[in-house]
Amino acid sequence: MKGYPFNIGGGGSVSDLSPLLYLSALGVYLHALFVSLTLGLPLVILSLLLQYARTNNPVYLSGVKKVTAVLAVNFALGAITGTLVEFGLIQVWPGTILVIASFALTPLALELIAFSMEIVLLILFIVTLGRIKALYSIIIISLYWAFALFSGVLITAVNSWQMAPWGTGGIAQALYPFMPAYGPLYADAAKLVALKIVLLASGSPLQEVLQMPEASSEIGIILTDPMIAFSNPYALVSIVHNLTAAIIIGSGVALAAWGYRYYKTGDRRYLQLIKAFAIPLFILILIQPTVSGHYMGTMVVQYNPTKFALIEGAEKTFHNPLIAFLAYGDPNHPIIGFDQFYAQCDSMKDVALKDLASSLGLSKDYILGLSNKLGISIDPKKLDQVLDTSVADVCRSDLDAALSRMSLVHYSYFTKIAFGIVAFMSAIAIMPILYDAPVLTRLTRRILRISNGDSERRWIFILASLILLGAVMSSALGWLVREVGRKPWTVYGLVYPSEVVSASPIAHQTSFVLITAFIVLAVNLAGLFALYIVATREFKFLDLLKKGLGVGG
Amino acid sequence: MDLSAVPSGVLVGLLTLQLSVAIHVVFVTITLGVSFITALYRTLAVRRSDPFAEALARRSSKILIVSELFSGVWGTIITVVLAGFFPGLVALSTNLLFTPIAIAVASILIRIPSIAIFWYTWGRIRPGIHVLIGWVMVLSGFGVPLGFRALFSEITHPHAIGPYLDGGLSSGYVGLLTAYSSPLFWTLYLHTVLATISVGGFVVASLETLVKNVRGVFIGVSFGLIFLVAQLLAGPLYWYTLHHYSPYVYQSVTLGSFMPLFAIKIILVVILLIVSAYTWVRTSKLNTIPRLTWSLGPIAVAIVLLGEILNDSSRYPYMVVTGEAGISPVAFSNFYMEIPLPVIYIVLGFLVISIVVFSVAAYYALVKRFIQEIPEEIGV
Repeated sequence: MKGYPFNIGGGGSVSDLSPLLYLSALGVYLHALFVSLTLGLPLVILSLLLQYARTNNPVYLSGVKKVTAVLAVNFALGAITGTLVEFGLIQVWPGTILVIASFALTPLALELIAFSMEIVLLILFIVTLGRIKALYSIIIISLYWAFALFSGVLITAVNSWQMAPWGTGGIAQALYPFMPAYGPLYADAAKLVALKIVLLASGSPLQEVLQMPEASSEIGIILTDPMIAFSNPYALVSIVHNLTAAIIIGSGVALAAWGYRYYKTGDRRYLQLIKAFAIPLFILILIQPTVSGHYMGTMVVQYNPTKFALIEGAEKTFHNPLIAFLAYGDPNHPIIGFDQFYAQCDSMKDVALKDLASSLGLSKDYILGLSNKLGISIDPKKLDQVLDTSVADVCRSDLDAALSRMSLVHYSYFTKIAFGIVAFMSAIAIMPILYDAPVLTRLTRRILRISNGDSERRWIFILASLILLGAVMSSALGWLVREVGRKPWTVYGLVYPSEVVSASPIAHQTSFVLITAFIVLAVNLAGLFALYIVATREFKFLDLLKKGLGVGG
Repeated sequence: MDLSAVPSGVLVGLLTLQLSVAIHVVFVTITLGVSFITALYRTLAVRRSDPFAEALARRSSKILIVSELFSGVWGTIITVVLAGFFPGLVALSTNLLFTPIAIAVASILIRIPSIAIFWYTWGRIRPGIHVLIGWVMVLSGFGVPLGFRALFSEITHPHAIGPYLDGGLSSGYVGLLTAYSSPLFWTLYLHTVLATISVGGFVVASLETLVKNVRGVFIGVSFGLIFLVAQLLAGPLYWYTLHHYSPYVYQSVTLGSFMPLFAIKIILVVILLIVSAYTWVRTSKLNTIPRLTWSLGPIAVAIVLLGEILNDSSRYPYMVVTGEAGISPVAFSNFYMEIPLPVIYIVLGFLVISIVVFSVAAYYALVKRFIQEIPEEIGV
């Protein structure tokens, strides 16, 4: 058995895993970028098609064709970055296979419906666009969008389970008294705790257990409700919050691109295209940070106490009526900081892991027997050491690990809010320029000193760019806060990254990380450049093809 | 074959896996072979300023743009089915076969976008660069089986994972490239590569009959036939290595319950040889396309389908074959929870719908020619 440098508490030796965590973050971010276009561009296409069906103006159909070509290349990039994330999970973090085979299995199985239908409907849409009635194209792209959103719903449900592991009841609370219970207990707490102790005492990652033939039958049922991921209140809010953000970014790209073309050319057809989808985009920009953002915040307060404290920079508990009112609905409620978490950890100083184990009916002999069945060797002395570990020490150690990320999470969060305000204000400013509103249009034009067509075009471009910049930055930083704020756990309060990391030494080699990062970046940058070419460049090299097909040229 | 050899839940997993692998392999075989011919003719078109080669490359690349994502989705389905039904096998292979999986994933990362980029940038970028993208598309395509065929090879003849399964390696660490020293892998890979180009040629020939292009049919059938003849060496070589390294699979295919399927496959190969040789003679000597030419692609695809089913299902009732016997899929199965089979049936139902929708789209794209070879100038 290899000697993995695992610690009890503190998230294992997370610093050793940093390159792999950064690699995963790179994959997730790139995937998020393309997924945003996948979810946002259908809004643009659908709006343009509706306008085309209503007016029969070919400009709208041209716009649809252009956006569809971009969507097609983007979809390929989204699919491969999705594959990257998927294989990143099972290859670099193979311990997550246990989650995939239990809590996440139903969402991921249903995701196959979403993904396959998404692809075939997109192909059908591309093939038939302009060849069938606009109404049929509207139906096909609507169905495509519905399945794309369904895919987003399911993946977000899985991600949300990592944030708030619903169905695990008070397992995390037993180690971390400041955490809430995560719904009713549908998991076999004794088996999960026994497995965790085996890993801690052996120094093995979970993969070395899972890969043993018969391991699954030896461990047996760990989850009794396969639908539990859908009952998670954290998931419902995350779904609305994340998907609306993605739609805003995706359609924001089209807004900024056509805003730029309008600014450069003065061609009012670009304005026509923008106006076709500006209103639903505007509504989403108004709702996303205010309504869904608020509820997302309350979920964090309720289920991720350390993340909320990191966001607010609450090393010590403090009072702030506004934040308290927004977070707890009570202006007098204190913003609970790490000092109180530490105090709650210390209340467990007389409790050892063996006490928790025995409360679940786990004896030392049972754990040794389980490890033997799983083919994992444990030194009994090491097991004693693990079982004698104070719960308070584990708890404090993990709080230390979380606290070390306070600056990053805190400043990222408030930078995200600032960018969100930029997008919000820009959206409020651009609408009266695009549409005539009795007082607002005159007021906005006066404030921005819009006196002629040139200045109008310039401001439309500036505001559209600010909407996109604000949306992209607040979304990117939002994901950073969501993911880094969850640390030191991969599954909040339950699983460390070091427990799910690959057992293969190859995964830990610098050369593997560098080569993978290089390939990922090269492919995605080339893909982004191709998107730019498809969106902007005319056909210049078709003479040979036209000649070959006998159509002149 | 005794279907009661494994529990019904595990059997559902195995059948779903077999369905997904078979469909996936059929599509990737087509797209790999067609992409090779496409890139080659695009290169010839640019180097010789040959309009015919240009048109042929463009027509054949339509197959790629229509099929590649759909073939990819079945790859995702395989991964989820494996992780959901057989988590033990996934955990084992992502450790012991880390390098082959990494090669396959890296190849997928390059392959799928390169096809979309190849299609959508045609005529928009300089031809020399476009040709380069075409070859990136081809080479990355052959990188995918270079990775994943190592997994198939290992579960048929555990060369790299054998010592671990025998208990000789406690941690399961094997060398970086150990899987590639398996003799079975290289014969399987050769068999796969030759099959892809042969099938690609026959599919191109079938589609060229739709536009009644005799020269296009001749080129397609030439590729198909040459590589089919090469398969007459590679196929028996693979069969021989199975006999030597995986006697259970060899017995199962040759004399066991899969013998009838194997016999049908051999008969189809003979028919394909005859029809393709006849087509080759007629197109080269008489400049006409025989009526049966359209059937070349479907027959070739049927052979691939049968071959893949033989390759995978002949391990039953084992998931990993170790010489004369093997390890049951039950040993790798998911007992962490009761798998909700109704959900699986709903998923399978939708997958059937997706096949129908894809078939409609492919019919309109390729047969009705809704996708135009000349890209449309877009005004805005």
